[in-house]
Amino acid sequence: MVNVVMTTPEQSVTERIERPAQPPVSAEPAPKLTFEAKNVSIWYGEKRAIENVSLDIASNAVTAIIGPSGCGKSTFLRALNRMHELVPKTRMDGTVLLHGEDLYSKTVDPAIVRRRVGMIFQKSNPFPTMTIGENVIVGLRLNGVRNHKFLNERLEKSLRMAALWDEVKDDLHKPGTSLSGGQQQRLCIARSLAVEPEVILMDEPCSALDPIATAKIEELIHELKAKYTIVTVTHNMQQAGRISDYTAFMYLGRLIEFGPTTKIFTNPTEKQTEDYITGRFG
Amino acid sequence: MIAPRHILGTFDESLAALRNNVLMMAGLSERSLGRAMKGLVDRNDDLCANTIADDEEIDQLEKQIDKDGVDILLRFQPVASDLRRVVSAMKLSTNLERIGDQATTIARRARKLNQHPSLAEVELIKPMYEQAMSMFKDSVDAFAREDVDLGCAVVTRDEKLDDLNHEASRKLIERMAQDPDQLRGYLNLIFVGRCLERVGDHATNIAEDAVYAAAAQDIRHPSLTATT
Repeated sequence: MVNVVMTTPEQSVTERIERPAQPPVSAEPAPKLTFEAKNVSIWYGEKRAIENVSLDIASNAVTAIIGPSGCGKSTFLRALNRMHELVPKTRMDGTVLLHGEDLYSKTVDPAIVRRRVGMIFQKSNPFPTMTIGENVIVGLRLNGVRNHKFLNERLEKSLRMAALWDEVKDDLHKPGTSLSGGQQQRLCIARSLAVEPEVILMDEPCSALDPIATAKIEELIHELKAKYTIVTVTHNMQQAGRISDYTAFMYLGRLIEFGPTTKIFTNPTEKQTEDYITGRFG
Repeated sequence: MIAPRHILGTFDESLAALRNNVLMMAGLSERSLGRAMKGLVDRNDDLCANTIADDEEIDQLEKQIDKDGVDILLRFQPVASDLRRVVSAMKLSTNLERIGDQATTIARRARKLNQHPSLAEVELIKPMYEQAMSMFKDSVDAFAREDVDLGCAVVTRDEKLDDLNHEASRKLIERMAQDPDQLRGYLNLIFVGRCLERVGDHATNIAEDAVYAAAAQDIRHPSLTATT
């Protein structure tokens, strides 16, 4: 039997229904964190792009950042590997910890950060003068690795992890730009994996790809999260729903809501989130 | 609750059309249930025939709502409250169609009863009808007005309807033993009672779906751990 009991408005509907006593449900353990961003603000010259964003990124999970153009999601993503510093007159406030270590400490080399935290961009960008094979191992070569056996092993391993090996194993000597758009994007993922990063950041990785190529990248993301932490920016809400475990919604440089993707896409807490994801914004 | 306008006007139009069809279907089902019961109480075969004939229109609306719902899911991929509204509308149509079927069954049983002398025990069915109809109306109201409290209240009223059905069935079985000549008539009344009890179950389902659409809370099977 269910009885409605009078309660305060703050109580959920299910709490308003009397029910038999339930055994206590053990709380889920808190996820292990890769990033802890605290009160991060970034300025481009006088313009503040993001404001006091605090966000914990869980390890071995996919976190999607959504929001309208100009909301600061790409800026926040770039703050996770200090890539925003490549823009002149940039200023940053707050802290970003990677496995507890301050990425912005004076003793930390940004180049090392970018090796630990790889990035995939909207448009695939293989080096046009290099072959497919050279593109994959260029990062290792730049880091002084010369051992051919090691390089060949890493080349094959990276291409296999990027689900590209079977398609290009006989064409490694061909230019990277000879591949299709989707293959080029997976080549860039292989290039990123070759230096064995701890995290992969993706800035709208599928926005220039057809549905088949997009599906392959999404499948790859799903497989890679077993080994890597992945943070992706996307304008495609359906894609965020498909691939991510957690979703963050940003608007006007602020983090509006963050939570499990299922919760965000079925019952968001904030009205701004609801209006944006249902297409009622502005 | 009136949501702000969608950027795509066609989405708002499609959602409004879906909702209007659900409410129209609810109106037709309510009318059929009322006519079937009036056909029984007033011994009016015409009303019974109307009820049976109207069922086709209810069935057509069910198919239309399913088609429109799938079309919206395909074209707009709604999320959050929009998704809940579409899914709930499609689930409502299934329950409304079944309420229409129960009304048709009652009308058929009434036509059989009308061929024989009237039975005073029809009075046992009236409280059940009032309870089932009020649950049905309130569950549709809860959906239309996105009234969570009303939806929760409907769910709690089903038990009374079950009790009324058990009591009426018990008395009718007693009468069958006392007056075996009217056995078929009492049996038909028991089946009518069972139909009304099923209407209450469908009204409960509708109320639960209304609460889910409005508040994203799954209040079904409260003995199970909530997963929302």
